[in-house]
Amino acid sequence: MNWKIAELKELEDKIWRCTACGTCKIAYDYGPPPTFGEICPAGTEFGFEGFMASKGKIAFARGILSGELPWEEELLEAIYKCTICAGCQNQCQLDHKPFIPEIIEAMRRKAVQEGAGPMPLHKNLLQSMKNYNNPYQGPRRVRTDWTRPFKKAGKPIKDINKEPAPALFFVGCTGAFNTAARAVPTATASIFQKLGLDFGILGENELCCGSTAMRIGDAEEFKRVATKNLETFKWLHDERGVKTIISSCAGCYRAIKKDYSLSSEYDKVMEGIEVVHTADYLNRLYKEGKLKLKGELPWKVTYHDPCHTGRHLNKFIIDHEGAQLWEGAYLDVDQSECLYEQPRDLLKAIPGIEFVEMKRNRANSFCCGGGGGVMTGFGEWATKNASLRVQEGMDTGAERIVSICPFCHFNLNEGAKRISSQIKVHDLTELIDQVLVASDGD
Amino acid sequence: MSELSSLQKEPVFPATDAGRVDSVLRELRRIVGDANCTAARHIRYAYSYDLSFVQPKLPDYVVMAETVEQIQALLRFANKEKIPVVPYTAGTNIGGLTIPERGGILLDLKKMNKIIDIDAEAHVAVIEPGVSHAKLADALYKHKLRFGWPVGPPSASVLACAVSHGIGGLNAKYGLNSQEITSMEVVLPTGELVRVGSCAIRHDAWHSCLPLPQLDGLFKGWLGSTGVVTKIGLSVHPIPPLLKVFTVSCDNVEDMYSYMLNLSNYEMCDDLTAVSWWLAQVPIPYPFKPKPEGAPEWFSFATTTSWTEKEREARTEIWETVFEEEQKKKKTSIKQTVYPEEALKGRTQLPSQVVGSTKNYCKQGGAGISWPGTFTPAKVWAPVYNKWKEILIGHRLSPSVRMSMYRGVHYGMLRAMIPFNKQSPEETENARQAIVECLKVDLDAGGIPYKPPIDFANEINKRASPGYLELLRRVKALLDPNDIMNPGKLGI
Repeated sequence: MNWKIAELKELEDKIWRCTACGTCKIAYDYGPPPTFGEICPAGTEFGFEGFMASKGKIAFARGILSGELPWEEELLEAIYKCTICAGCQNQCQLDHKPFIPEIIEAMRRKAVQEGAGPMPLHKNLLQSMKNYNNPYQGPRRVRTDWTRPFKKAGKPIKDINKEPAPALFFVGCTGAFNTAARAVPTATASIFQKLGLDFGILGENELCCGSTAMRIGDAEEFKRVATKNLETFKWLHDERGVKTIISSCAGCYRAIKKDYSLSSEYDKVMEGIEVVHTADYLNRLYKEGKLKLKGELPWKVTYHDPCHTGRHLNKFIIDHEGAQLWEGAYLDVDQSECLYEQPRDLLKAIPGIEFVEMKRNRANSFCCGGGGGVMTGFGEWATKNASLRVQEGMDTGAERIVSICPFCHFNLNEGAKRISSQIKVHDLTELIDQVLVASDGD
Repeated sequence: MSELSSLQKEPVFPATDAGRVDSVLRELRRIVGDANCTAARHIRYAYSYDLSFVQPKLPDYVVMAETVEQIQALLRFANKEKIPVVPYTAGTNIGGLTIPERGGILLDLKKMNKIIDIDAEAHVAVIEPGVSHAKLADALYKHKLRFGWPVGPPSASVLACAVSHGIGGLNAKYGLNSQEITSMEVVLPTGELVRVGSCAIRHDAWHSCLPLPQLDGLFKGWLGSTGVVTKIGLSVHPIPPLLKVFTVSCDNVEDMYSYMLNLSNYEMCDDLTAVSWWLAQVPIPYPFKPKPEGAPEWFSFATTTSWTEKEREARTEIWETVFEEEQKKKKTSIKQTVYPEEALKGRTQLPSQVVGSTKNYCKQGGAGISWPGTFTPAKVWAPVYNKWKEILIGHRLSPSVRMSMYRGVHYGMLRAMIPFNKQSPEETENARQAIVECLKVDLDAGGIPYKPPIDFANEINKRASPGYLELLRRVKALLDPNDIMNPGKLGI
């Protein structure tokens, strides 16, 4: 299986499309009314221009390519102190816009290839990937711990390795191994059972999607697990009748949908398989009138857009051949695959919920601070950043913050603890599970 | 100070002197804290260049100040040690104004980003240097107030634009953004804190620089070479609810000048601007391409705002009178037109991400943009433009020119935004040569460049009266005896 993952040098022309104008540094919308907000977690925390948005990262990329910036510990750290949230990408108007996260990751790939990167704590994570096929140093058998209550209740979850099912619930490592985030797969599976969905899980045979490895620049490790996963998906389709892969994890969803498409075999392997996030899946059912919600959650709630289900799913329209403007010109952005409205529609559908927006939302959502390997590499800063986002949620008067990413879920919880906030953080599935009426009337 | 692949300048002290670097860093850390200063090369590198053709140069240190007291302590130290200090807010200028000519300390002011006060009754806002146009626009709108937003990135600094005689979308009505400054607080290069304008007499009175001697002039247009401005008061204005933009086009600059002069007599526009066909494109064509046959060479948008329908009708009536008068002139090519939608949006919906020195300016060039940006008597706009056009096309660059009438005397902005491919040294030098050639033409016609790179400053000074230059030197020496503040930028 061949993979088309760009090296930094291959992106040099794009890197020289940045003017250093700094439009990327803040979120802004004319409106009216005009709205302004900080958008770059690293820029907000560290301040120096090099940390600031894509303008700063492009400076590093230029210096690395020209040889003016040799690998030094502080440079390396600065490159990894970026959540790759793509908030800066959302502001940029120039031709390198579609490639901004890729440029940052390509710097990291170069660091890894040349033996300089990643950060020490990332190395532990990668070793765990190699040893256990997950970044949490968790033995395989722990992967199914969250399923025990289902078994105990006489509603075991189907092992798709043994039995066919049209839907694979791709659980993801965070939901499986991070006990604080286990509510996510638990609620998801509960919902699926209530809906009568015929689904299964890979259980101990599930491998990490490879998202974190990709984000921190270890393309080889990413390719290893991604290749195996794609082969598994093909087998599941051919041998187990899988037509849909559902994930409640924003990172897994993004990886399978976007990173895996860098494989030369992607279209062939994934033919007949749809990848869908749980929020999207449930929203479709809701729109079809198949989601019956009963009871009331009398809560004031706000919603946090994860980067991986939001702007990371932008599709950029590029004039590849130069037919309209010139070769490689960025023309427009298609946001139709970004999951902005689906979770909001579901929240608003829950009886009793009073929904309020944070100032920075949708494409200008402020990253929780956990992405891009930051939660592993710089945990304290990740938590501090999450507390800024929690504060923004509190400023709306909301009692609860809801999201659709176990990573955000965990990090926002840590952020809330850091500032002793009383606000509760939930995954959307937890709320839906509380009010969903089982299809058999339970 | 170390140079990056360019002209070598005499360093203030050798950056290789590790002992010296360590001792300076120790003191900087004492002043602003560990997290706010560094000598790390990669951090300095990100401050070594901007959008312009000016050669990159590294500062020796980067410092972020959070308080006025820190700036005072920093400048006292730098003055004692004779270390250059370059004030920096967002780095969005296109004249290399914050590229450190002689290394030293790059003083990044972005953390001083408080809107200290918006007095919605008095129409005065008080801000720190790090406040962006986007942030102020957001805050003012809540009071239904506005300011003259420029066509720069929304992240650009309001204060830096204003003290550098930057322009904005209300120039025809209220004058330059520097004319909107009502009071200032400044740290002198020797560390003393001074105030000019009403806030010098009463600490919370920020309403006016007049009737006191206009000492604010000591810090406006000096390119950060006389002190660090830490606060300014600004006039802000109510937002009338009704917008009407009158748009015309014509085939030559002479007809456009005639129309603008005529309309300007009525002093009813917020902004009265004309742009050549090349500037009206999004993006500016690079390299030059001829405009399509039959396409107008000039477009104008005259932005007006009104409180009532009747007022708007009255403005429309005036505009129609002007238009009819122009029609009566022999062979005028002025006609009503539809201004390209995205370009018009970029001019009236400010601050804007679409313009902002980005999408419509340099997108096609690749990384670089500079300008001959001038304040020029309106009566010579036409001859200067015609010469610029020859020069720029000769260099295969688009004559993407803007003319804007300022308040009062019939003078205003005449500038050409020139994108270029910064990855190529040859193309960068080609743009620089063309721009400097254009600038000489303008200076000889009575224009004066604003926010000038050193190449421009040198050309200004060649033409300046000896008395003016001597006064400039004396004032600079009085305020900055050791020439530490952004040294080299004035070309004196």
